[in-house]
Amino acid sequence: MHMEQPQKTLSNLSRLATGETACITGIHAPDDIRLRLQAMGLRTGRVARVIRRTRLGPMQIRVGSVDLIMRRRDAARVTITASQ
Amino acid sequence: MKRIAIVGMPNTGKSTFFNRLTGSSSRVGNWPGVTVELLGAHTILGGEAVEVVDLPGIYDLHGFSDDEQVVRSFLENNAVDQVVMILNASQLDHQLPLALQIHKLGMQPVLLVNMIDEADQLGIRIDAESLSASLNCPVVLISARNGTGMTAATDVLVENMQSVTPVQPSELKAHLHADDEIVSHAELLVSQHVSSPSQLVRRMTERIDRVLLHPVLGLPLFFLAMFLVFQTVYTLGAPLQEAVAWLLELFRGWALDPLANVLPASVFGFLVNGLYDGVGTVASFVPVIILFFFLMAIVEDSGYLARAAYLTDALMARLGLDGRGFVMLLMGFGCNVPALMGTRVMRSRSLRLLSMLVIPFSLCSARLQVFIFITTALFTPKQAPYILFFMYLASFAAAFLTALVFGRRLKSDEPFVLELPPYRKPVLFQVLMRGWHEISHFLRRASTFIITGVILVWWLTHYPEGSTPGGAGTYASMMGDWMKPVLDPIGISSIMSVVLLIGFVAKEIVIGAIVAMTGLEGAALNSYMTTQMDGIQAISFMLFILLYTPCLSTLATQLGESRSWKFTGVSLAWSLGLAWVVSFCFYQGARALGY
Repeated sequence: MHMEQPQKTLSNLSRLATGETACITGIHAPDDIRLRLQAMGLRTGRVARVIRRTRLGPMQIRVGSVDLIMRRRDAARVTITASQ
Repeated sequence: MKRIAIVGMPNTGKSTFFNRLTGSSSRVGNWPGVTVELLGAHTILGGEAVEVVDLPGIYDLHGFSDDEQVVRSFLENNAVDQVVMILNASQLDHQLPLALQIHKLGMQPVLLVNMIDEADQLGIRIDAESLSASLNCPVVLISARNGTGMTAATDVLVENMQSVTPVQPSELKAHLHADDEIVSHAELLVSQHVSSPSQLVRRMTERIDRVLLHPVLGLPLFFLAMFLVFQTVYTLGAPLQEAVAWLLELFRGWALDPLANVLPASVFGFLVNGLYDGVGTVASFVPVIILFFFLMAIVEDSGYLARAAYLTDALMARLGLDGRGFVMLLMGFGCNVPALMGTRVMRSRSLRLLSMLVIPFSLCSARLQVFIFITTALFTPKQAPYILFFMYLASFAAAFLTALVFGRRLKSDEPFVLELPPYRKPVLFQVLMRGWHEISHFLRRASTFIITGVILVWWLTHYPEGSTPGGAGTYASMMGDWMKPVLDPIGISSIMSVVLLIGFVAKEIVIGAIVAMTGLEGAALNSYMTTQMDGIQAISFMLFILLYTPCLSTLATQLGESRSWKFTGVSLAWSLGLAWVVSFCFYQGARALGY
């Protein structure tokens, strides 16, 4: 688990509005899940953008060159801060 | 012999490269993790025989999914002389960490940066030479789709293999550890050697997705697309099937019928009316199946399956499954066996088990043959496609019901994160390879248990000596009588119940069995079918075939993948029970309503 908890953490990825971008500050999940999310590109310091979301289901996130679809529940594990 | 292992993330075109390099066929898909079995091939490189192994696509070597375990244990247990890593040129930031992991293990990989044509279009420029110098390993830019750079890649591969020292598997084990610094190293490399526009614009993909992933239109469009696929299979497939049947009959009239004068009647009856017509009728459905796989390959290669996962995940989440499970159901429309193996990408055991419980209800191509045969015999050409579509709906309904019933007991917290690849034009070569794959698969099955099944049915319906073939007094009719109490209430005649018993092994046998049993074919067979069942009985029969169990191979795969007799037993008992109850309700309900 990531120990340092940045003070400027505002929110998590699941709350980011469609079309907005934010900087990833950490992933709060058990080791195996965290490794998996990291390997798919969700790493601290990267900028993520929400491309679209369904009303009840998953959302589409763009991190670097990769587009991901993920459930809100999993996006909620990714903490973010407003990116400049 | 030297061994080359091909590694890379899902969706990097590993399989396409593998096919190019070895000339053999394997399946490619834009769906992450589709390559589930290890594919190997022998080929000549630089005048030397080498073995090439295509490993499953993985995101990193430290993962916890079954695919990642497969790759790790392969590398830890097999001496590999040369690792070839395939990378997606437009995602180097995302993919270099895995390359560095492999490099750190001392494996001296050759890096092939694939899909360079796509990266070009996006305005990404990669300085392969300087990247190679920094990494201290060969880097070649290629496009496996259209063959660009393949000669250079092979040359580099041959040259590198001369100098490379294979890493001992035991050393590898010791080396696999933390990768945080690897990521920052990768980022540094990308910033130095790759220049890309600040925002990647995939105009085409975004434009298509705006429509196909539309919050309201997305799902209806998906169902429309699936309906069109099946409509096409039926409209194009039926005449094709008739054409092959006609050819087989022509051959029979020309080469086989004259044998009637030479051979004893019983031998001729067995060889020609039983075996040739039985297997031939099954074979006449091969074009339909090939057509179906062509269309599925196009859908799969285009990248649409990941969209299907996106669209259906909300619904699947309520059933305790996820979008990947839905895609596996779609894959199961081809054949349930690879779909079951595809669940290896799931990390949570309960999610895997639940997915493996619902996949056998997906209407596979073998069952499709039977349904096309029966609907053609018993319904008008106008009705038939709708009856067929109804069977697909029933297939989904059974899968969803199963998930609802068992979902509560098999809960999981598996994350649902999936890569959404850009749309790609399917490559004709790959689609054709896929079709060829299916033909050879059919021939393998035909040469073993379809023939065995047909022979068995012929014997059951023609013996003991003196009984009317296909009628009273045969072993088959005795067996039918035993099963009467169970199958009578669902409208299945005793002679058809023998077919069901044989069909347990594989659905391909069903049609062949009916032919061998009756000694009829073509139009005569169709009119025989109308004496055996009416429309309501036919639907009841098809519902039973759809649900009662796909085939022995599926059961064996369930057992092999779950490593649990209990799970396999529950699955079998549930599907047998469900089949009977559904057919009973349908048949008795329809009769009660006066149909």
